[in-house]
Amino acid sequence: MNIVHIDELEEIELGDGFVWRPVRRHFDILAFGTNAYTPGATGRVVEEHTERRFEHQEMYLVLRGRVLFTVDGDEHELGTGQLVFVRDPSIRRGAVALTDDAAVLAVGGKPGAAHEVSAWEYEFVAFPHLRAGRYDEAERLLYEALDAKPGNGSVLYNLACVEALAGKHDAAIDHLSAAVDAEPQLAELAQTDEDFVSIRDDPRFPAAP
Amino acid sequence: MSEGYTILSLDEVEHVPHRGSNLIPVRHTLGFEPAGVNAWIADTGGQLIPPHEEDSGNEELYAVVRGRATFAVGEESADAPAGSLVYVPPEVHRTATAEEDGTIVFAVGGTVGKPFNAGGWDSFAVADAYRQSGRLDEGRAIMEQLIAAKPGYWAVHYNAGCYEALGGDKDAAFVHLRHARELDSEGHAAPYFLEDVDLDPLRDDPRFQEFLA
Repeated sequence: MNIVHIDELEEIELGDGFVWRPVRRHFDILAFGTNAYTPGATGRVVEEHTERRFEHQEMYLVLRGRVLFTVDGDEHELGTGQLVFVRDPSIRRGAVALTDDAAVLAVGGKPGAAHEVSAWEYEFVAFPHLRAGRYDEAERLLYEALDAKPGNGSVLYNLACVEALAGKHDAAIDHLSAAVDAEPQLAELAQTDEDFVSIRDDPRFPAAP
Repeated sequence: MSEGYTILSLDEVEHVPHRGSNLIPVRHTLGFEPAGVNAWIADTGGQLIPPHEEDSGNEELYAVVRGRATFAVGEESADAPAGSLVYVPPEVHRTATAEEDGTIVFAVGGTVGKPFNAGGWDSFAVADAYRQSGRLDEGRAIMEQLIAAKPGYWAVHYNAGCYEALGGDKDAAFVHLRHARELDSEGHAAPYFLEDVDLDPLRDDPRFQEFLA
């Protein structure tokens, strides 16, 4: 049987100090988006964000413990079995754990559209390897992402980051150029991204927009 | 609180009986659109998830929110304390039973490669619970809302037909079922016409024969 306890799921600590529990990826669910979050160094369990870009509706269910949600500027303290449904993608939302055992299950997607696995899932898996200097593994995971999301600007950009750090300068330039072709605004980000220090003087480096 | 979001406690939603279980109709209550989301509650020994299989392509995830459950999936059985997540692929038989009072299981479902399209079985369950408790107008209002929201979707007319069949208004039931059949160009309803017990009150009526052709 495909069963796992939330505490047995892989723990991927993200940059702003919360722990992503990759539920969808663990089961290879393709029909809908779902993930869980537990507190890490900062106690955060839902990052501060909107869903404007992807136009997702999202639901956050407190599976355990107590959590303080901030939604559209309002604070709500919720316990086990309580949930927040954010139907308006433009609303800013986030949450921090009030107890160490807190866990939140998120379900989301774009109404009226078949679910597509988001590029960030692959990137989140790769980031800990990137931060730890395991460039080969980060690169492998991002190539896996590129197979699933061909031409995705964000994936190409992060692949370029890894390759630049790994000393694969030509590959980094190629992927960064492709990323900028897909999403021109990434050229601006690249100008100050420390990952590109080793290739920024290359004449092929994309110019600022 | 703005209209752009809703806070909900599973304990505050009115439960309705459905196929031997107690449904907490989350999707019906909230209008969540990306996936099917509902919850089930039972005391010790009670059935949480009605025994069933999902159609081809339908994936489901179950999360034990409170208490403890025993899941039976295919030929396997497993203990699932709070915090457990159970994934069941399509066409696999599944059910779950509560091992503690007040056990709640949250369920998420959808179809691979297709937008989620709520057929409204959960809304139908709420409407039918209202019908059985004598709240006929409230139940019918739910069915009318479903039709108004998706007038071209065969399943909402089909479910409205079931509602009227169970309520004893055969004429109204046949009107809805004819609409359902007209809209069901791919024949999805055919097996339901053959087997759905909700339509049993109509099966002796000569008009039902047209749905079996």
